[in-house]
Amino acid sequence: MTTESNLESLLREGHFVVCGEMSPPQGADKDAILRKSDYFRNTVDAVNLTDNQTAIARMSSVMSSVFALEGGVEPIMQMTCRDRNRLAQQSDILGAYSAGVRNILCLTGDYMSFGNHPGAKGVFDLDSVQLIRMVSDMNAGRFQCGEEMKAPPRMFIGGAANPFAEPFAMRIMRLGKKIAAGAHFIQTQPVFDFPRFERWIKAVRDEGYDEQVYILAGVMPVKSAKALIYMKESVPGMSVADEYIKRMESATDPKEEGMAICVETMKRLREVEGIKGIHIMPVMWESITPRLVEEAGLLPRPKPRMQDNLTSISDAELPPEVKKAGAAPKASGVEA
Amino acid sequence: MSKLTEGVAGFCEKHSTLYKCVLLAENAVKKPVFRCQNCGQCVLSYNAFTCCMRCPKQIRNGPCGGTRPDGHCEVYPERHCIWWLINERAKKLGRQQKLKKYHIPVDRRFEDTSAWLNMMAGKIEGWSWGKDLKEEEKETTVKH
Repeated sequence: MTTESNLESLLREGHFVVCGEMSPPQGADKDAILRKSDYFRNTVDAVNLTDNQTAIARMSSVMSSVFALEGGVEPIMQMTCRDRNRLAQQSDILGAYSAGVRNILCLTGDYMSFGNHPGAKGVFDLDSVQLIRMVSDMNAGRFQCGEEMKAPPRMFIGGAANPFAEPFAMRIMRLGKKIAAGAHFIQTQPVFDFPRFERWIKAVRDEGYDEQVYILAGVMPVKSAKALIYMKESVPGMSVADEYIKRMESATDPKEEGMAICVETMKRLREVEGIKGIHIMPVMWESITPRLVEEAGLLPRPKPRMQDNLTSISDAELPPEVKKAGAAPKASGVEA
Repeated sequence: MSKLTEGVAGFCEKHSTLYKCVLLAENAVKKPVFRCQNCGQCVLSYNAFTCCMRCPKQIRNGPCGGTRPDGHCEVYPERHCIWWLINERAKKLGRQQKLKKYHIPVDRRFEDTSAWLNMMAGKIEGWSWGKDLKEEEKETTVKH
């Protein structure tokens, strides 16, 4: 199935894509989204809009995605299972699609105790694999209950993968479940541990999953050694190589060093077989995105096939599939 | 399940005292042994006899991204991640193939009911014998 997502078109055409990420404001401030959109317009292909990330209350990812569209960037609406049951999830997906949102990233969601409302009730009606399956069913014209839907959405469905958390075997298995459930693309946690990442992508390739789904590797620019140490010690499921912490500590300008590490990682990931794009997560540092993309040699971005109105594309207008997924030539830097 | 088991389950459902007795017996086994969470649609036989509903996020299809390097839970660092435990036990029991099964969303109507009787009545998926998944259970791919 082809969706109207520009991200999907670019991936199908074999381009190496770049995604950004922005956090919706902690307030009723639409302009914040429009301002941040300036950093991403024409520098990345799509932008994730987080859904109350780390369980901190923010503007909804649905409305933020709609505002991002107004700001001229293609949104990837994140949706967690923490705050909504299957009814609310489906109604939000229908609403978002009708407003022009074409990409969704399905997540389980951070636990409430990590955020600013630790006493909140967690919903967790579905898990992320079941959510992917539900969106996939909706694309096929069925509600989760099995009833037919008259005007089904056509979402480009994403899932997340964490190559760095234990148990390793389960990570590969769960990725397989997400693909079987109907995921089209996968975004990974930020890479700060290359050996572990290469071990993971090798296992992914061995299963043939890189041919079934577009895998976008995550990167994160950090401003200080403290931030890296915090991630290593306090963010569960993250792995940070000591080498990076040492480099950040000995740097005269940690911000520049953090950026250099990020650019280096992006260039290295581009050479990895099975990786179809980069997902930049500049947490609270969105303004750095254009520089990162430029220095990694990923500008200019390929032109989206439909620039102005994403909602008015009919089947007849969709281009023929140019290439099979993953046909882009890649150097294999991993085997060595 | 068979006509016989459906008949037995149907009979128990009609007689509330009998139903309560079965539920009591089931809980007497499942609570202390598996720390059963009463979802009423047991998947123990797929998950190396370890109840995945003990996960704070109640994930039925594998671990979230927050498992710590020592195999502990991101929410309760003093506990093991339940999926880490499931993986360890599956390795010991040779039941890793079973973990590949896709589990459908929980039907909340079955909460606090007897999974045994639900299974006998054919309302939920049956017990999974043996160490390998059946062919039809592997077929979870959605047609696009």
